[in-house]
Amino acid sequence: MTTDTAAGRPQRHFHLNMQALSIFLAAAAIFVIFGFLNSNFLTVGNLRDIAVSACVNALIGIGLTFVIITGGIDLSVGSIASFVGIVSANLMVNSGVGAAPALLVGLVLGFVAGGLNGILITLVKLPPFIATLGTMSVYQGLAYVVTEGQPVYNVPQSFVLMLNSYIAGVPIIVVIVIVVALLAWLLLRRTVFGQNVIATGGSEETAWLSGVRVARVKILVYGLSGSLAALAGLVVVARISAAQSEAGAPYLLTAIAAAVIGGANLMGGEGRIAGTLVGALILGALTNGLVLLNVPSFYEQIVTGLVVVIAVAIDQGSKHAWWGLGRGRRNRSEPTPVTPSPSTTDPAEASEPTVASRTGE
Amino acid sequence: MKPVLLEISNVAKSFPGVRALDNVSFTLRHGEVLTLAGENGAGKSTLLGILGGSLAPDNGSVSVDGVRRGEYSPRQALAEGVMIAHQEPAIVPQLTVEQNLLLGKTAAERRAAASAVDGALADVAAMGFPLDRRTRLSRLSPAQRHALTIAKAFAFGAKIVALDEPTTSMLEHNVDAVLDRVRHLATERDIGVIFVSHKMPEVMAVSDRVVVLRDGRVGYESPIADTTTEEIVRNMVGRELLGFRRAHPVGPDAPVLFTATGVTRPDSPASNDLTVRAGEVVGIAGLVGSGRTEFLRALVRADPGCSGTLVIDGKPVNIHSPNGSRDAGIAFIPEDRKRQGLALQMPAYANIALTAAPDLVGTGPFISPRHQIKVASELGTSLSLRPANVRLRARQYSGGNQQKLVIAKWLRRGSRVFLFDEPTKGVDVGGKAEIYGLIDQLAAAGNAIVVVSSDLPEIISLSDRVLVMRNDRFISEHVEDINEHSLVASAMGIAASESAKGTP
Repeated sequence: MTTDTAAGRPQRHFHLNMQALSIFLAAAAIFVIFGFLNSNFLTVGNLRDIAVSACVNALIGIGLTFVIITGGIDLSVGSIASFVGIVSANLMVNSGVGAAPALLVGLVLGFVAGGLNGILITLVKLPPFIATLGTMSVYQGLAYVVTEGQPVYNVPQSFVLMLNSYIAGVPIIVVIVIVVALLAWLLLRRTVFGQNVIATGGSEETAWLSGVRVARVKILVYGLSGSLAALAGLVVVARISAAQSEAGAPYLLTAIAAAVIGGANLMGGEGRIAGTLVGALILGALTNGLVLLNVPSFYEQIVTGLVVVIAVAIDQGSKHAWWGLGRGRRNRSEPTPVTPSPSTTDPAEASEPTVASRTGE
Repeated sequence: MKPVLLEISNVAKSFPGVRALDNVSFTLRHGEVLTLAGENGAGKSTLLGILGGSLAPDNGSVSVDGVRRGEYSPRQALAEGVMIAHQEPAIVPQLTVEQNLLLGKTAAERRAAASAVDGALADVAAMGFPLDRRTRLSRLSPAQRHALTIAKAFAFGAKIVALDEPTTSMLEHNVDAVLDRVRHLATERDIGVIFVSHKMPEVMAVSDRVVVLRDGRVGYESPIADTTTEEIVRNMVGRELLGFRRAHPVGPDAPVLFTATGVTRPDSPASNDLTVRAGEVVGIAGLVGSGRTEFLRALVRADPGCSGTLVIDGKPVNIHSPNGSRDAGIAFIPEDRKRQGLALQMPAYANIALTAAPDLVGTGPFISPRHQIKVASELGTSLSLRPANVRLRARQYSGGNQQKLVIAKWLRRGSRVFLFDEPTKGVDVGGKAEIYGLIDQLAAAGNAIVVVSSDLPEIISLSDRVLVMRNDRFISEHVEDINEHSLVASAMGIAASESAKGTP
């Protein structure tokens, strides 16, 4: 294993492709299998339905991918989606605000709500799980408070059409998701900010000592997550022409699942925008396909859960021994130098507590 | 003379790239207190690991009371009555004193252990730390925890007790009581004690005999009555120096480039000053735990609450975080490259770009990986990085090459001040020479260099001037007398006159 990766470049490409490929192959397999089982599955109309149904998970999942890459988690995304949906709908229906301003207000509100998570995590130094567990409840409560728990009906058509119509047969929301995904990929892979996000998740101390303003990076990432959750909440409002105070709640776990299926590592440092998109598509296809096959909806949860477990197992496997090219990305403790010269002293360091165990020196 | 209790014969142990122990033999008798001395990395901890059963020797054997050990496991060592009290106490803070003493014992053993618990509590009290058995460990001071760990090692049928730096967290007046009790227990119960310490006065006070490990071998052995502090120290450090000489030592009239005054940390009352001239390499020596790393971290404001006035090139710089120190021209190459120097899952080039050198990230928000790879490859070539492909992940490089990556991060930043913390820890000999050459070049280019190292030959061959730190303070400065003996004596707090006297 050491020798076959020593040459570097060609293997590396192969290695990367295999990792990215496994999720695409899995998605393709699922589509083909459902296509065989039901002739209605692989029709244009049905595929369009799947794409549309995947959009909410995709939007929230992309934001979560950034959060997860920093090594954090955002449990409040579902509540932010609900809260923003009801605030914007309320503005339009009861205050007569226009569709575009209401959308903008929603996105800003989402950013603020997410940024607040980031502030709790960086400045107050709460663990992300705790901070967002708290705000999940707070934002959900605020969603009830706005209309005293009542849904907001009769959302203006102008707003519904903005997020829920078709351009040349393509649902506008699918176009929006693709644009968001492209921008997110650019942000993550082609900007200093993105590099800092990945470094922060890989080793926060390294990023900090290299001069990265870690707190700012995290606050922006949680703000971004909040904004995308807000957009997702607005999409849900447009889809049913009404806002409900709990509309966003079901999307929390499925969006996390989409990101994780797509290769995001909850330990931080790794995640792929394209992977998250495919993860959301897989979840959409499963729901849709099982309905077409008349499988009772209870089983859908079982299948979804199994898919998450299997996807992560395959991802882990592809990084370890499988095909002989894994590098154990998640296994940080295990260094795998590729130089032929003997690497010195990991065990020796470990066995010399006088040298190694004092973290200060 | 009492019979032999422990016999270590011809023990050897190697780790990849390092021979930690080489043919080590010595004996320990019943009731004897033996000091195991040696510098960091001399092999003391490896030997304790083998004694405690957590490591198995490649060669040689360990015999207790004439019975040769067949299997190396902590369980086996405990069954033989070998107890190790580690430097970092193995305790559970959430449990009480009594629960910690009984940790790992079965219900039956617990019932039989009541008197042992009483004995341990009496011992701790005799050491000057009366403890209530119901107190949680989280409420105890580090010194109290250490005392408890020592007492626990003696409490449960021990034949051999090894104490690894037992007094580091204790104040002077406690140390005497602790050492008295250890002596007393050894004599009273015929227990053999192996005492590991850097503090020479304690060694002289408590031991019957001393064994000095040097580079994995027994370099010296003597009854304490027949030796002196000076003799022991000389035998600890007396080895050949690495054949490196600075090609560009600092000139006599080089101007001051970097001044730090009143550098303080919230966790210590100490305040330190440092001046480094252009082209000068200042070494900071001292024992592990003496506050050297913390001093460097305070300079770059890596921890909250640090303060001090910094002047670079005559201009005061006002910084509050590593971001500020980076932009002010200070490069910090930390000790733990895997956790502090690199994001291991990222490609090498992205790690090098992490300090946001304009050459690598440009001026706008966008980056070009292709450009980063090109510049990083140039840097890699200039550092003889192997493998040369900077698209590999940082974790795929060996220790020495990872260290080159950490240094490469700072080479395009235009930094004027370079702070190195243990720059060659875990780096093999060839890599060391390359890193020394690089440090020499950085100095020759007129930068100010500070090197913290526990490797004395390294400090001696690199430095124009050496400061010794002890208990968070610089206690001495060496320019003419940069040699192992003066530095070790200073780091251990032995005044030159005192060590000359020697107190048997």
